[in-house]
Amino acid sequence: MLLRRLLLALALVLAPLAGITAALAHQQKIAISTVSLNPRNGMIEIAHQVPVHDAEHALRVQGIASPDIISSAKSREDFAGYVTRRFLFEVNGKLADPAYVGSEIIGGSLWVYQEVPAPAPAPGQGARIALRFDSQILTDVWARQENRVNIGGGTHPETFIFKAGDAPREAVLTRQPPEL
Amino acid sequence: MRFVLFVAAMLLALPVHAPLSAQGVQQTKGSFEDKFRQLDEVLPDANTYRTASGAPGHAYWQQKVDYKITAELDETRRRLTARATVRYTNNSPDALPWLWMQLDQNIFKKDSMAELTDAFGGAGRRGPKVQLGAGAEPTKLSMEELRRQQAMADNVYGYDIGAVKTLAGADLSHTIVGTLMRVDLPEPLAPGATTEFTIEWAFNIVEEDAINARSGYENFPDDPKKGGNDIFLLAQWFPRMVVYSDYEGWHNKEFLGRGEFTLEFGDYEVAMTVPGDHVVASTGVLQNPDAVLTAAQRQRLETAKTAAAPVMIVTQAEAAAAEAGSPKGTKTWKFNAANVRDFAWASSRKFMWDAQGVKQPGAENETVLAMSFWPKEGGELWRKYSTASVVHTLKVYSRFSFDYPYPTAQSVNGPVGGMEYPMITFNGPRTNLNKDGSRTYSLASKMGLVGVVIHEVGHIYFPMTVNSDERQWTWMDEGLNSFLDSVAGYEWDPEMPWTRSVPRDLVSYMISNDQQPIMTQSDSITNLGSNAYGKPAAALHLLRDTIIGRERFDFAFKEYARRWKFKRPTPADFFRTMEEASGTDLDWFWRGWFYTTDHVDIALDSIYRLKVDSKNPDIDLPRRRRERDEEPDLVGVGLNKQQGLPIWVLENPGVTDFYDKNDEFTVTPKDRKGYTDFLEGLQSWERAAFDRAVREDANYYVLNFTNKGGLVMPIILGLTFKDGSTEKLKIPAEIWRRNAKEVAKLLVYPKGKELVQVMVDPDWETGDADLENNHYPRRIIPSRIEAFKDEASKSRTSRDLMGEAAGAEPDKKKK
Repeated sequence: MLLRRLLLALALVLAPLAGITAALAHQQKIAISTVSLNPRNGMIEIAHQVPVHDAEHALRVQGIASPDIISSAKSREDFAGYVTRRFLFEVNGKLADPAYVGSEIIGGSLWVYQEVPAPAPAPGQGARIALRFDSQILTDVWARQENRVNIGGGTHPETFIFKAGDAPREAVLTRQPPEL
Repeated sequence: MRFVLFVAAMLLALPVHAPLSAQGVQQTKGSFEDKFRQLDEVLPDANTYRTASGAPGHAYWQQKVDYKITAELDETRRRLTARATVRYTNNSPDALPWLWMQLDQNIFKKDSMAELTDAFGGAGRRGPKVQLGAGAEPTKLSMEELRRQQAMADNVYGYDIGAVKTLAGADLSHTIVGTLMRVDLPEPLAPGATTEFTIEWAFNIVEEDAINARSGYENFPDDPKKGGNDIFLLAQWFPRMVVYSDYEGWHNKEFLGRGEFTLEFGDYEVAMTVPGDHVVASTGVLQNPDAVLTAAQRQRLETAKTAAAPVMIVTQAEAAAAEAGSPKGTKTWKFNAANVRDFAWASSRKFMWDAQGVKQPGAENETVLAMSFWPKEGGELWRKYSTASVVHTLKVYSRFSFDYPYPTAQSVNGPVGGMEYPMITFNGPRTNLNKDGSRTYSLASKMGLVGVVIHEVGHIYFPMTVNSDERQWTWMDEGLNSFLDSVAGYEWDPEMPWTRSVPRDLVSYMISNDQQPIMTQSDSITNLGSNAYGKPAAALHLLRDTIIGRERFDFAFKEYARRWKFKRPTPADFFRTMEEASGTDLDWFWRGWFYTTDHVDIALDSIYRLKVDSKNPDIDLPRRRRERDEEPDLVGVGLNKQQGLPIWVLENPGVTDFYDKNDEFTVTPKDRKGYTDFLEGLQSWERAAFDRAVREDANYYVLNFTNKGGLVMPIILGLTFKDGSTEKLKIPAEIWRRNAKEVAKLLVYPKGKELVQVMVDPDWETGDADLENNHYPRRIIPSRIEAFKDEASKSRTSRDLMGEAAGAEPDKKKK
């Protein structure tokens, strides 16, 4: 057991260079997740944007022989299920299990949607919702995967970048009254 | 008149913040930020090598390096052994005491800088994975990581550099520094002089799927032959001269794996000895077809030159026979290539091969052979679409640049997802094998193949011919090429979901608060794909279709390509050429998109509607009365009424005076005299203008905008009028010159043409990040998830009918 753990640790040190960005539009090795609070329905909404080719390639790596991200709803859902497993999410110190809403293709991207009800405001917390999260989407497929998590809706989110093995990060999502 | 004052007051009262810190110039009072400041303080000074208008200067020079190489491929040991004579011509004005070479294979040595920095810190840092509580995926190491680790442990990679000698046979002192090697010359190489030396080397070829490089071998264990067959892709396979340029001297930057290359142009004569049943695809033109092809194959190749569709040179049956047979001896294939900056090749007995001539009347190469090489695993996907994509690329790219500059353009299937070299590209997408032996593919694979072939063949123009430095400025070839590959993609089939490179695709990246400006060296960038491919491509689409316009953009872009064909441009040369050839000051655009991390978000905050006062009390006062009548009654008065409270005047009807019959809008003789005095006080031109304004009674609107994203952009307005008509109006970005935060714009429409609704950027062409503040009046913009719930998935692309219709079941274990 110890030996095996040693081997794995060693591999982590030696296994670096994989995933050189070939000069190709193909695998972008990026997933951008946006976490925002919808003031109209009180849901924390999570939208993951993954390049279509990356998604399809990832399914193939996982042993699914004929994935078809564009045409097959099943393939999209397979991948969406994978994405939701690799995106770890805590709300106010409790592990959250955001519901899978659906997925769609827009342009060259696969969008995967999740949502979870925002917790009721707790005394002393004011408008703050404490989040803890870790985006490990595709980091088990490509060592060079670099993920972005944008916390907060609108156009000035706080961005966190995750690579394989990175620890979870923390951020605060602020409740805002609906603008309209 | 009133509205003019109003606008002037608005412009003066605008608040500003954000400090300015340009070199040598400081905003020391207030916080004005000059988003239009000229870039000449940032760009390198023009000189005799590079002009201020972005063209090569009268004393432009570049080095020339010619190689004669012989190489032997040891298929069993997967090892390449080679020797070269390198002829280096010093066209620089400098004497060179030494020469630097790139030893790219050394990146695979266990102690390379790439390996060490990747393991212990920096952009590719790895570490044990941390679990975030129960229910999460168990921590695990990917199979890919394990495989790579094992390959690195089991093999010795990197160059074995043998003798480095003068032509006379004397040893040349050489020092290896990571992926670089300095070769000391017996005496400095004078300007204009040429030197020749020989070098011997060998290396073990990496398994591409395990190591993840830009070249290597792939094994197909399921082939009928025992042990299977390999495809070998050979690139970065010989010690290549480092560039010596006018702006950087020797470009001795360590190869860290991500930043690709720039190289010197030169002529190549290469002979590669491979197993006798292999087919070789290579940069250059085959010199000895008689020795390596059958008579039938040579005949087919001749036919292909004038064919309207691809002609098979090596058929499926011939490839299948070779795949199942045993190698018989070796053959030496000889290729020559003139004026190329690199040389790559591929070798396998698995290859089918097709070719089609592309005609370029009047060009240096009037017939270009578009060719593809693929194994059976590429299947129909490759037979139908690879060479067709090469032909399409040449047609589109040549329109934007110059005639394709080489005699061949090739697409080779192998383990590399996509990589480019002069005249030859490696492209990855394949078919899936089903249990019944059939092969099908997904639409994404088809789009992937067409897209990647366009992209990689496109690279033969940029940077293989327009020789920018990808290690330093990745965007110069990847950005330009992603722009052109999407242009070519839309011209292939506008219904396919190509986009990855128009502004709307980049919004979630561009609003991130952790990103780098495009003008950052490739090895320091996170998310190189978005930074160096997507964002610059989006910027160019925006320039072409929105800011400059197609005609002038295409003219300027073509001029850039023409000026720097077979030369070495820098970003300043691109920026300057695009400006000068299009006749457009674009410094604000380069500054914003390439030197900052701002995004686009323009808000339309309010619209004021103004009417011209006629000054005539008999017109103006009744109008004001009507306006007041349209105001809602006081709530309290209404409640009084409901309560039935008594009203004094109603209860005392006999007590009245002048004010019961006249309100404050009653016209008096004094009002009329004031009007007459006003008219008489006007000068004749004022009177004419006034009378006309009153007569026309136009609608005046003042639109107030704020720039929330930081990037200054044209303000594009979609205007909807009460009569249902619509208009699109584009206000140039220069409106932001004196105030980049807030501006107001007056729009005037004739009487009867009333504005009811305005949207900023109605066609989503600028990548405006917040659509809600683009609408006036405001409207609720559903979140992505809300919008998604409202309608079924937008993807209407048909299912994988190929496989499903045939009832085929995928075979998960074989390629």
